[in-house]
Amino acid sequence: MNAALEFFVSYLLFPGIIFSFIFGQLFEGIDRKIAAHMQSRIGPPILQPFYDIGKLFTKEDITPEKSQSFFFNGAPLIAFGAVITAMIMIPVTGVIEPLGGSLSLIVVLYLLNIPAIALIIGGYASSSPFGVLGSNRYIIQLIGYELIFIITAITAAVHAGSYNLASGFGNWFIFRAPLAAAAMLLAVPGKLLKTPFDIPEAETEIVMGPLTEYSGPKLALFKLTHNIELLAIAGLFTALFLGGPVSVTIGAVTIPGVVTFLIQALVVAILITLIRCVTARLRIHQALKFYWGPIGFVAFLSLILAVMVW
Amino acid sequence: MPKMVIDVLKNLFSKVSTLKYPYEKKEPPERFRGEPVVDEDACVSCGLCKQVCPAWAITYDEDAIPIFDHGSCLHCGECEENCPPNAIEINNDYETAALNREDLITD
Amino acid sequence: MTFKVPVGPQHPALHEPEHFKVELEGEEIVDVDLRLGYMHRGIEKGLQDRNYHRGIYLAERVCGICSVAHSLSFALAAEDIADMQVPERADYIRTIVAELERLHSHILWAGVAGEEVGFQTLFMTMWRDREKVMDLLEMVTGNRVNYSINRVGGVREDIEDKHAEKILKNLESLEEDLKRYVEIFPSDSTVLARMKDKGILPKKKAQELSASGPVMRGSDIKRDVRADDPYAAYGEIPFDVPVETGEDVLAKAVVRLRECLESIEIIRYALDAMPEGSLMSDEVQGMPIGVNKGLPVGEVTGRVEAARGDLMYHMKSEGEEEDGPSRVKIRTPTLANIPAVFEMLEGESMAEVPIVLASIDQCFSCTERIAIVDKETHEKEIKNMQELREMER
Repeated sequence: MNAALEFFVSYLLFPGIIFSFIFGQLFEGIDRKIAAHMQSRIGPPILQPFYDIGKLFTKEDITPEKSQSFFFNGAPLIAFGAVITAMIMIPVTGVIEPLGGSLSLIVVLYLLNIPAIALIIGGYASSSPFGVLGSNRYIIQLIGYELIFIITAITAAVHAGSYNLASGFGNWFIFRAPLAAAAMLLAVPGKLLKTPFDIPEAETEIVMGPLTEYSGPKLALFKLTHNIELLAIAGLFTALFLGGPVSVTIGAVTIPGVVTFLIQALVVAILITLIRCVTARLRIHQALKFYWGPIGFVAFLSLILAVMVW
Repeated sequence: MPKMVIDVLKNLFSKVSTLKYPYEKKEPPERFRGEPVVDEDACVSCGLCKQVCPAWAITYDEDAIPIFDHGSCLHCGECEENCPPNAIEINNDYETAALNREDLITD
Repeated sequence: MTFKVPVGPQHPALHEPEHFKVELEGEEIVDVDLRLGYMHRGIEKGLQDRNYHRGIYLAERVCGICSVAHSLSFALAAEDIADMQVPERADYIRTIVAELERLHSHILWAGVAGEEVGFQTLFMTMWRDREKVMDLLEMVTGNRVNYSINRVGGVREDIEDKHAEKILKNLESLEEDLKRYVEIFPSDSTVLARMKDKGILPKKKAQELSASGPVMRGSDIKRDVRADDPYAAYGEIPFDVPVETGEDVLAKAVVRLRECLESIEIIRYALDAMPEGSLMSDEVQGMPIGVNKGLPVGEVTGRVEAARGDLMYHMKSEGEEEDGPSRVKIRTPTLANIPAVFEMLEGESMAEVPIVLASIDQCFSCTERIAIVDKETHEKEIKNMQELREMER
């Protein structure tokens, strides 16, 4: 009884829906603001994603007649549910661990894949040529980045000695496996669909890719999922390579684990923004070649070093 | 390493290039053509402004003084240039939106 | 199994409405069909109803980006019919404004090309630098678009010393920015990945399909109306015509950036060598041409190098009693470049459509005046691509 209540509280409040909602949107707002300043303009206010999602929820819910409505309507719900579940498994504070366990890394990797698959299914179910094209590209890109992501995550797990995400607390593996960290940092724009890998949602070529036919509350859910994914993946990177949420005592002030977690995740998000601002968009086969070529080599090298040397 | 990184980081730490209109307004240059305004005492009702207006935006009222339809006006400046007694002057006004088409015809 | 993707009429990659029906197999383009007609405004008919004085204002508004090229072409055609001598100072001022317009148009294009490949930062920073040119144009002519500086017989405004000083100052700062972009464009690896070896237009095909402007100069054909058939003050100003041999989108981009640097040199030379004199021809006394007086009988073609290629105005006048032209036909460079697009898109994939289309610097608002109305049956026919090609030849 107690465990079930604890689970519900953590799912709804912390670090579940309310926490992820607030901080995921804030991260997205900060990302847009910093990108705007890098382009020498003012940009939207930091709370803009809140206004966007709020506005979208007030619009009419439309399902196109030719679409497969079961999958079309179900996709955003599944994506949202998956990403919130992933958030409560990522160590956000050093104190509470709502859903831990010895294999939490594997489960989180699977859960973070579900939004991508839901978007692909939604794109196909929307029966619009742009949706189909976008989903085609997304499948190819998924094959590209997921390999790198998994290999680098396993490298960090090898250094930590177990698949439990909480076991890496306090150890900054980025110094022991810099190649793996760099490779993962390059796989993250692929996972989050940010330039140079925003190929499935290439606005100037295929309108909005799989999201073309979505509008109103369903689009709001997908966008919300996308923003929370930013927080989740930055958080995963922090837990794997940057030591996780450990509380630091400087002088007389104790900074709780949550704050260090948020600061580290923010730094990762800003790095992704920097990459986004200085590159053009690649073509899909160039992206696949990039991931399975040089980056794949670096990631494998790092894994072999981790297993044999350390 | 892409070369744009230097530009981007420089932009991040310097002032934005955006003008915060309408809190900061820019002064238009001296040749800017805003709205035409007629000096009723100087006008001699010669009709030349009506003849040269490319958009047919000038008509006469009952005193034979020009009325300008700012909705059709091209802001070209021909009326000012061809007025013999220099009764028409083009000012620097550029914020001239109105809610009705009829409000744009000056008396 | 092919399926058709509609690019347009409303699409984030296009700036004006046009409808390309792209037939794809996987990601590779098998066929492209074009349907125009969304920007038809009846301008040629409007020019028949207006006299020369009002006509030049309408001609200027055919396009917002290349507006002074249109009004210059109209004025040159009208002056040619009447065999009017334009004073030299007016010629130099026309040259300076035309080159400033070429600068702003090419920088606009470069920003748009960056946006088409997903490089949003390049788009924003290039348009910020374009504001320097727009400030100059506003200072000299009084407006940022549709400058209305040309008139049949001369120009309306003068360039004084204080203007010349500001022009030189802005151009110096712009030249530094442009040199930085010329460095970044061909060397940034993601830009190269999108632009190199895409949209290839072989030299022979470019000649056959009568491409014009930077599209043709990117395929190693050295022709430019300013050099081959000089008008305004171009006969007296030495300048180079940049040509590239790459034949791909990158070559066209580099041609445009090099043309910008050439334009800066032309403006500097013209400001230095500008003679004194009046601004309007002696034959125009009092009211402008067209208000009271017409032009003698004649039929003439005025040709100008707009930013996108060569622009022709064919004008016919029936005599001095008519105060306007009896027929004006406008042939814009984008119309000549459209057949080249089909050649360039053959074999490419869907991701190339926006950037290859953008590489001809398409300006469909210039292009469309070709709906043909059958007088007997009042049936309207919009020409499709095949018929357009036949009409062009």
